[in-house]
Amino acid sequence: MISTPALQDLTMLSITNLHANVADKPILKGLSLSINAGEIHAIMGPNGAGKSTLGYTLAGRPGYDVTDGSVTFLGEDLLALAPHERAAAGLFLGFQYPVEIPGVSNVQFLRESLNAQRKLRGHDPLSGADFLKLARAQADAMGMDMDMLKRPVNVGFSGGEKKRNEMVQMGIIDPKLAILDETDSGLDIDALRVVGDGINRIMRKPDKAVLLITHYQRLLDYVQPDFVHVLAGGRIVRSGGPELALELEREGYKDLAA
Amino acid sequence: MTDTPIKDQAAHDAAARVADYEHGWSADIETDFAPKGLSEETVRFISAKKNEPDWMLDWRLKAFRMWQTMESPDWAKLNVPPIDYQDAYYYAAPKAKKTLESLDEVDPEILRVYEKLGIPIEEQKVLAGVEGARKVAVDAVFDSVSVATTFREELKKAGVIFLSISEAIREYPELVKKWLGRIVPMRDNYFATLNCAVFSDGTFVYIPEGVRCPMELSTYFRINAENTGQFERTLIIADKGSYVSYLEGCTAPMRDENQLHAAVVELVAMDDAEIKYSTVQNWYPGNSEGLGGIYNFVTKRALCQGNRSKVSWTQVETGSAITWKYPSCVLNGDDSVGEFYSVAVTNNYQQADTGTKMIHNGKRTRSTIVSKGITAGKSNGTYRGLVRVAAQADGVRNFTQCDSLLLGDQCGAHTVPYIEVKNPSAQIEHEATTSKISDDQLFYAMQRGLGQEEAVALIVNGFAKEVLQQLPMEFAVEAQKLLGISLEGSVG
Amino acid sequence: MTNLPTRRDEAWRYADLDALARLWPLPAAEQIIVPEGTTLSRVIVQDTGGVHQINLILERGAQALFYVLNCGGDYGRVDLSVTLKQGAHFSLQAAQIGGDSQTLEIVTTVTHAEPDATSRQIVRSVLAGQATGTYLGKVAVAKGAQHTDSEQSVKAMLLDRSATANAKPELEIFADDVTCAHGCAIGELDAMAMFYLQCRGLTPADAKTLLLQAFIAEAFEGAEQADDLRQRALAKLESVV
Repeated sequence: MISTPALQDLTMLSITNLHANVADKPILKGLSLSINAGEIHAIMGPNGAGKSTLGYTLAGRPGYDVTDGSVTFLGEDLLALAPHERAAAGLFLGFQYPVEIPGVSNVQFLRESLNAQRKLRGHDPLSGADFLKLARAQADAMGMDMDMLKRPVNVGFSGGEKKRNEMVQMGIIDPKLAILDETDSGLDIDALRVVGDGINRIMRKPDKAVLLITHYQRLLDYVQPDFVHVLAGGRIVRSGGPELALELEREGYKDLAA
Repeated sequence: MTDTPIKDQAAHDAAARVADYEHGWSADIETDFAPKGLSEETVRFISAKKNEPDWMLDWRLKAFRMWQTMESPDWAKLNVPPIDYQDAYYYAAPKAKKTLESLDEVDPEILRVYEKLGIPIEEQKVLAGVEGARKVAVDAVFDSVSVATTFREELKKAGVIFLSISEAIREYPELVKKWLGRIVPMRDNYFATLNCAVFSDGTFVYIPEGVRCPMELSTYFRINAENTGQFERTLIIADKGSYVSYLEGCTAPMRDENQLHAAVVELVAMDDAEIKYSTVQNWYPGNSEGLGGIYNFVTKRALCQGNRSKVSWTQVETGSAITWKYPSCVLNGDDSVGEFYSVAVTNNYQQADTGTKMIHNGKRTRSTIVSKGITAGKSNGTYRGLVRVAAQADGVRNFTQCDSLLLGDQCGAHTVPYIEVKNPSAQIEHEATTSKISDDQLFYAMQRGLGQEEAVALIVNGFAKEVLQQLPMEFAVEAQKLLGISLEGSVG
Repeated sequence: MTNLPTRRDEAWRYADLDALARLWPLPAAEQIIVPEGTTLSRVIVQDTGGVHQINLILERGAQALFYVLNCGGDYGRVDLSVTLKQGAHFSLQAAQIGGDSQTLEIVTTVTHAEPDATSRQIVRSVLAGQATGTYLGKVAVAKGAQHTDSEQSVKAMLLDRSATANAKPELEIFADDVTCAHGCAIGELDAMAMFYLQCRGLTPADAKTLLLQAFIAEAFEGAEQADDLRQRALAKLESVV
């Protein structure tokens, strides 16, 4: 059973000197980062810098091997947990390419997921009726049709629908920390606003935090970050406030290779 | 060679009009026969005739005794008339005056035969360095004995050994001993065992480490002497990091009696080596009443012994009355690759049971099988294939596509895939479809000005394209023509 | 058949012959004739071991819908021999789930004897432990049986290195105006889907079970007793995962 301490002003995620390999190739090479409750951080960087690797490594994807460093999440050793235990502890990864699962309906998937998390936290499972109420509210908030919730997970969804579905899932699961990997890619301007509003509504709370992984500044017009970091060559090479994102948008990444 | 000339265009056209066999004629050449029938004496005769060392004779005799205890396989979808093994000759060699150094010394009659076949062995043209001409070395097998090899000098420079198997037995006994019967064991099957006992001649190729063979190697087989079984034996060894492309083509003259052909082809590829083996098989298929034609019982197998080795079989099978043939790959090396691309055409009363076996023993081994069967007339075509994944072979991938095209409602098209998987990480996909040429397709093509047979040939070539494009240039053109010729008279 | 078959018999090449010997001689095959224009729906749950043999003849325009769950006993075999007359329709939806050292087989011979008949076969196998799961399916189209439309969809999942899946989706076709297709896929659960489910909080075992349920779901679609079949299948899945 995983406890939930009071969160305000607490260090939520602390990454120290993280090294990670993918297929024996070093991708993260000494990355350090600290995120407190109530904060929104953005990680930006050129393609191939290791942005997605960071998200996958924190979520525990098989094949992403940590070779050095440590990560604590709410005071616990995150790296010692299995992927589902990290989820139950309150970590949510919004996938850049949400996975299609034929034959499994969104509703079934989310209800089983949520109840598995609740079980691990020592809470009773949500009844079918209560779950549907919750799901309907979250789907409505994201402007998603209830029919889509009954369809197989992400199967036949457009790129934008998949991203919207990730936000509905985030709303239902209600995590402590959301790591959102290129959530803005593939979205048109209207969808971008809906998704941005969703992130603010669900996650901008004193006891929560967000790590936005993005290549472009445009999502940051809707979700104002407190801190912006530049990831290049597997490490954070620069940190600053929201103005850094604007500078990167103007100047590009080319002078940042460190 | 950039083109494959049909030399006697008028004769060819005449033959095509009657939907008869293009190469159905007989050349008059002196032939040296072994006594009719099959006994230990025959085996000894053949071995003696070829001046073989004792170990080779012993090997043959062992095979012969083994063969006597075996039975002809009956599992294929083939209706094979009983074969009287005592009523055939097992050795026939054109009487060579002496060892021949170049094509100039070859019997002009043989050269005339080749010319009529349109076989591109014009040595001078290539040696003269005709701009853009690709080099093809030919080890021409006329009946059972190699009578001429070309380009030996250039191959020698590269260190490539390209010899008849009889020469190789004498000159490179250690290499031959090491691999002969290692890939296709003596006991493998009835016809392979028979071949071990009585093989007449064939080809031996060795590509040394790191050598990319400077030219395509090819052998033309012909069956010419009446009542002569053909028992060719081929052994190709590609050492580490080498590459060779080998072309095999054959035609046979028209005879009324059926003739047995039971070849064995063994390939072995070491680390990082690649062998591309292409066949256009156009043995005489029998006449339109189903009379005559070759019985073709061939065992072809490749051992991908080395890591990252690759063997690719491409075959266009249009001939023979009966075809029984499964060019296979044993993928022992990690990351090794096996490929099988096949077009099999049957018409009239032809029967073909052909396919492949991909045996995945190494990790991350991959195989691709593309089989296109085209059946017409009263013929039967079967794809028979095996994909097997051993328990220790992690990360195996196989993709198999089997398509059948039926021309007419009197023929049969069959698909018999065996899939046996013992490792959970394997990804095996098999797809099969059956179709016919639609009236719409035919009408559309004809409305654009094609004759019916041209339209059929066009559509069939499109159907088989995936395979045909695997062939080296030299063969692609010939193969396309063959498909058209083989199907003449099948529609309308 | 009076003599015990051997490995040389194609229809028994992957069978557990020792287990078969204990069951020998087999009871006579069940004979079913589905009269012209009628529909037969049948559920076979093989959960105790044994060989079910059924010879089925579908008269003109008749339909037979078979739902099979093959999951019990050391050796379980469901063997259907089906003959289709003009315009008849045969459908087989089957799941087999095996663990330990079970040998499970679904063997079909579907003969399209006359024109315009259709057949659909869906077979899903999940194999764990040292289990062996086999599908031997032959579709034969007789001369003159034009407009035959037949399909075989065969998929298997291996959960352990010691499990075996065999498939032989065979076509024997003597008519040209036909649509006959088969597809066969053997593999393991998609690693990315497993990760995605776990990222949302499912335990590895639950994620596996959920994906496997989805994998076999097609086998019970449309069955009147679909819920019951699903429950039984789920119980078996949970026992092998």
